[in-house]
Amino acid sequence: MREAGNIRWKRIWFWLSIVINLGFLGVFKYYNFFAESLAESLSYIGFHIDLLTLNIILPVGISFYTFHGLSYVIDVYKERIEPERNFVDYAVFVSFFPLLVAGPIERAQHLLPQIKRTRIFNSEQAVDGMRQILWGLFKKIVIADNCATFANEIFNHSDAYSGSTLVLGTLFFAFQIYGDFSGYSDIALGTARLLGIELLRNFAFPYFSRDIAEFWRRWHISLSTWFRDYLYIPLGGSRGGIWMKVRNTFVIFLVSGFWHGANWTFIVWGALHALYYMPLLVSGNNRNNLATVAQGKLFPDVKEFGQMVLTFGLTCLAWIFFRAENVGHAWSYISEIFSQSIIEIPRFPGMKKALTTIMLVTFFMAVEWHGREHQFAIQRSFSQKNRIVRWSFYAFIVFLIGMFMPTEETPFIYFQF
Amino acid sequence: MKSFLKYTFLFALFAGVFYVFALLVWGIVMPEKIKSNLNYRIGSYGHMYTRLKEVNQYKDLDILFLGSSHAYRGFDTRIFQKEGLKTFNLGSSSQSPVQTKILLERHVNQLRPKLVVIDVSPLILSGDGVEAALDLIANGPVDKYCFEMALELGHPKVYNTLVFGMLSSFFSLHKNYTEPLQKGDDNYIQGGYVERRLDYYHPVQLPVKTIELNQELVNSLIDCLQLLSEKQIPVWLVYTPIAPSNFRRYIGNHLFDKQMGRLGMYDNFNNILSLNDSLYFYDADHLNQNGVELFNKRMIEVMKEHKLLEAN
Repeated sequence: MREAGNIRWKRIWFWLSIVINLGFLGVFKYYNFFAESLAESLSYIGFHIDLLTLNIILPVGISFYTFHGLSYVIDVYKERIEPERNFVDYAVFVSFFPLLVAGPIERAQHLLPQIKRTRIFNSEQAVDGMRQILWGLFKKIVIADNCATFANEIFNHSDAYSGSTLVLGTLFFAFQIYGDFSGYSDIALGTARLLGIELLRNFAFPYFSRDIAEFWRRWHISLSTWFRDYLYIPLGGSRGGIWMKVRNTFVIFLVSGFWHGANWTFIVWGALHALYYMPLLVSGNNRNNLATVAQGKLFPDVKEFGQMVLTFGLTCLAWIFFRAENVGHAWSYISEIFSQSIIEIPRFPGMKKALTTIMLVTFFMAVEWHGREHQFAIQRSFSQKNRIVRWSFYAFIVFLIGMFMPTEETPFIYFQF
Repeated sequence: MKSFLKYTFLFALFAGVFYVFALLVWGIVMPEKIKSNLNYRIGSYGHMYTRLKEVNQYKDLDILFLGSSHAYRGFDTRIFQKEGLKTFNLGSSSQSPVQTKILLERHVNQLRPKLVVIDVSPLILSGDGVEAALDLIANGPVDKYCFEMALELGHPKVYNTLVFGMLSSFFSLHKNYTEPLQKGDDNYIQGGYVERRLDYYHPVQLPVKTIELNQELVNSLIDCLQLLSEKQIPVWLVYTPIAPSNFRRYIGNHLFDKQMGRLGMYDNFNNILSLNDSLYFYDADHLNQNGVELFNKRMIEVMKEHKLLEAN
């Protein structure tokens, strides 16, 4: 692209790269969705066509490394970075193992220089990496996998349960997906730190957000910022009038939903978040809560607490679409929640065991709250205390992992994306 | 780097010691509900504690029975005794071939049986062998075989229970324990059999199940056969009758029979005996005492037909 003699050829190379990158994603991930949706739509108007669908396995993490590749191509085209001429360095950038399957989605301008420079072992950074790996393992193995048992039971048999049980199922899923995805990110970031590489931060305690705009500055940050830089801003960002902002915001939320998978549930999930975002955008309040909640204080005030509960509640409502089998399933799930059965006592197989998981989630959220001003929750836990106290805390987390790891393996949710 | 490696190593040591100490405290202090991956239950279901104490008094058996609850609730040593046969039942709750192998390694030289009968069933051979491992660790000595078993199963619950078992022996936490012979409806009979108060099964619709054997367990079963073959002890693989409504729900019974038949002398008594669900069983998986008597008598007849005890 950079070697192209004129702007026309530069554009041709650029679009060719974009088409190839998106082409792989389109074929592997979205072809069946479009083919089936087209056939279904045509059937409504009397045309019955039998389109070929592909029976192929989706390569693990394809959405992640496609976006790595796209960011590189766009940055080279926009001349934000120099093209990488060393194939090995480029290959390491695209396929750096900690982030290959589930991110964070890296930028060439951030990662490539780190790959190219000589790295010197930094003990402090490596210890920090180990801490982050430990916390990531706890999130995934103890929190996410235990919550998954109950979330799966309740979502898979939602017809059989009362509204109150379905609420509990939603909460379990909310903590499952947070523990699962942020746990993976912590393990990836920690592993990279051991190798002297700092990856982009992906989570910043999103469940302590006071509004949806803050939530999206704290959840899957590498994807949100990717869409902001490579889609929202090129579309005009917030430079135009209010309708331009509304349109662009809807576009990025819908595309973000679609990025997760070729299913209407993800698109509705994205649309719902866009709707949540609108009042903040229109009223110009989308950048109200930039600092960490209750900074320097032990507890939030009543207003902040109420805002956090409301934001968490809205997020949970959207998670129902994310987790449901299809949009119909999500609707029936939500209808049952808003029925009289909401006042019944929750009941499902394994209810007693679920109490242990609720205790673990409480412990987890307490540690997260305590460490919310740092990169990850246990980064500075007991840092002022002597080594024995600090190590005892880490060893206690190791013990909790050994004591509460579920017997059945649950794959990472984001591996499917 | 040197200092990082040094402190990593020291932390690993520290965490190991902390883990063991925390496990001991957790195991003693915490209620059962929050001992997720620690399941040390001395004197649990199946009277294994008493059985393992008693087995040391036996030697020179005619028949040694092994297997799951199908074995300790299905092979009544008293019936065999009436035929002049000296037997012992070393069955245990959900015993898989992994545990059968350990029990054979521990006791076969002392018991010197003329015949070993191993209960085999799709239910057990498609499981994971964990429940029986916990039973064995909590109710017997923690020895090298338990370590081998833990490594073979690679399950956090087994590792934790094994460590707690070692600590329990070291600190003699349960030295005064005695297991009652009568527990609920179960009565332990000398020789390892557990007789249940006569009860009858009320059949219910059970979901269809395709037999998918756990190859690791099948390999362990082959190891057991190999071990006995080396000692020139004949083995009889027996599929103890289960309620016909339960038996019929399995898809692949024929293939299971074929696979077991290839391993050695094998009989499926679900095909040999025609037993009524309600009259001869107390649940979907276990014979009641009336069923046991019919089954054991038929077993003795088949054993004679096969001339199983005459070979030695």
